[in-house]
Amino acid sequence: MDIFGEIRESLTDILDIEAEEVTPETYVIRELNAESIDLLELSVALNSRFKVEINDDHIYLKTLRVCLNGSAVNGNGVEKIAGEFPFLSGERAREILADLDGGPVLKVKDLAAYISWRAGTN
Amino acid sequence: MKLVFQGHRVLIAGGTCDLALCLAESLIEEGLHPILTWRSEEGENRIVERLRPFEGQFDTAWLDLSQRASIESLFTHVGDDLDYLVDFAQGDFESLIGSADPELIRRYFSENVSSRAELLRRAARSMLRKRRGRMVFVSSAAVLRSNPGQGFYAAAKTASEALYRNLGIELAKRGITTVSLRPGYVDAGRGARYIESRKEMLADSPLGRSLRPEEVAEAILFFLSDHAIAFNATEICMDGGFATAK
Repeated sequence: MDIFGEIRESLTDILDIEAEEVTPETYVIRELNAESIDLLELSVALNSRFKVEINDDHIYLKTLRVCLNGSAVNGNGVEKIAGEFPFLSGERAREILADLDGGPVLKVKDLAAYISWRAGTN
Repeated sequence: MKLVFQGHRVLIAGGTCDLALCLAESLIEEGLHPILTWRSEEGENRIVERLRPFEGQFDTAWLDLSQRASIESLFTHVGDDLDYLVDFAQGDFESLIGSADPELIRRYFSENVSSRAELLRRAARSMLRKRRGRMVFVSSAAVLRSNPGQGFYAAAKTASEALYRNLGIELAKRGITTVSLRPGYVDAGRGARYIESRKEMLADSPLGRSLRPEEVAEAILFFLSDHAIAFNATEICMDGGFATAK
């Protein structure tokens, strides 16, 4: 199974949802309504599946708004995101900046990007 | 009442004290498997010596809260298959606040509060895999009524109780619950030396005596059992009424 498939399996198990509800573009908090305790459980599950250390602040982009600190408006948001979350592509960073007003931006594909990055850098 | 336990493996932090060893014997009798932690080889020998009749029915592991790396090393050693945590770990630091060495103050809280929080974090993540776990923190009646010189001890115990309490409210829905027990003077280890010098004070207390290690161990056994799960995110005083009486 690929990384996305494994993450989807963990998500369906923890959130008690159907596999069809989870695509790479699905918002983890906005659409799947994952709560902080679900995210904690997900870290534990992902750590167990992929044997990589997971930093909850990074994988769930918890520090996103602090790291941006208003700079989305004055232009260097993409660099800030690249510095804080090196596993996200420039394209994804731009997507995130355009999406901030909609609520928590975390998508399933971000989790997959984090896992691939951790697995590659370990 | 026959006690029922849903799990099997019990990590005992601070496994070299009399109470921990006494508890380990009770656990083994109940068919559970204790894993006792030690800080020095001397401590490890003490465990092995005392539990010699039960060879093969327990394990030992190194844990030194003054060395953060030892937490990860502990879990590498014992694995994630963990059902219970009983936490006796507590450094000794008796000093009037005004006369304490500033560096020792810092070190004491780092070991006894910060490191404990990291140990709890790691144990919780381990138990979350099974969605099951029970933790008992062995605090002290000194958090209610402490003597001069016990300020750091009482503060570390109080802070640790708060960590356990919160863990119990955060993870109970995921099957992980916690309780803190506050024993009074126990006739074992450090307590025994203290009791010797204060016999009269204890004779005047409601129960009129100190606690036996066995009765504290049996209480912990009950709090670990399935019957006691509803004692969650709370503290229970077991001091014969000493702290309540004037």
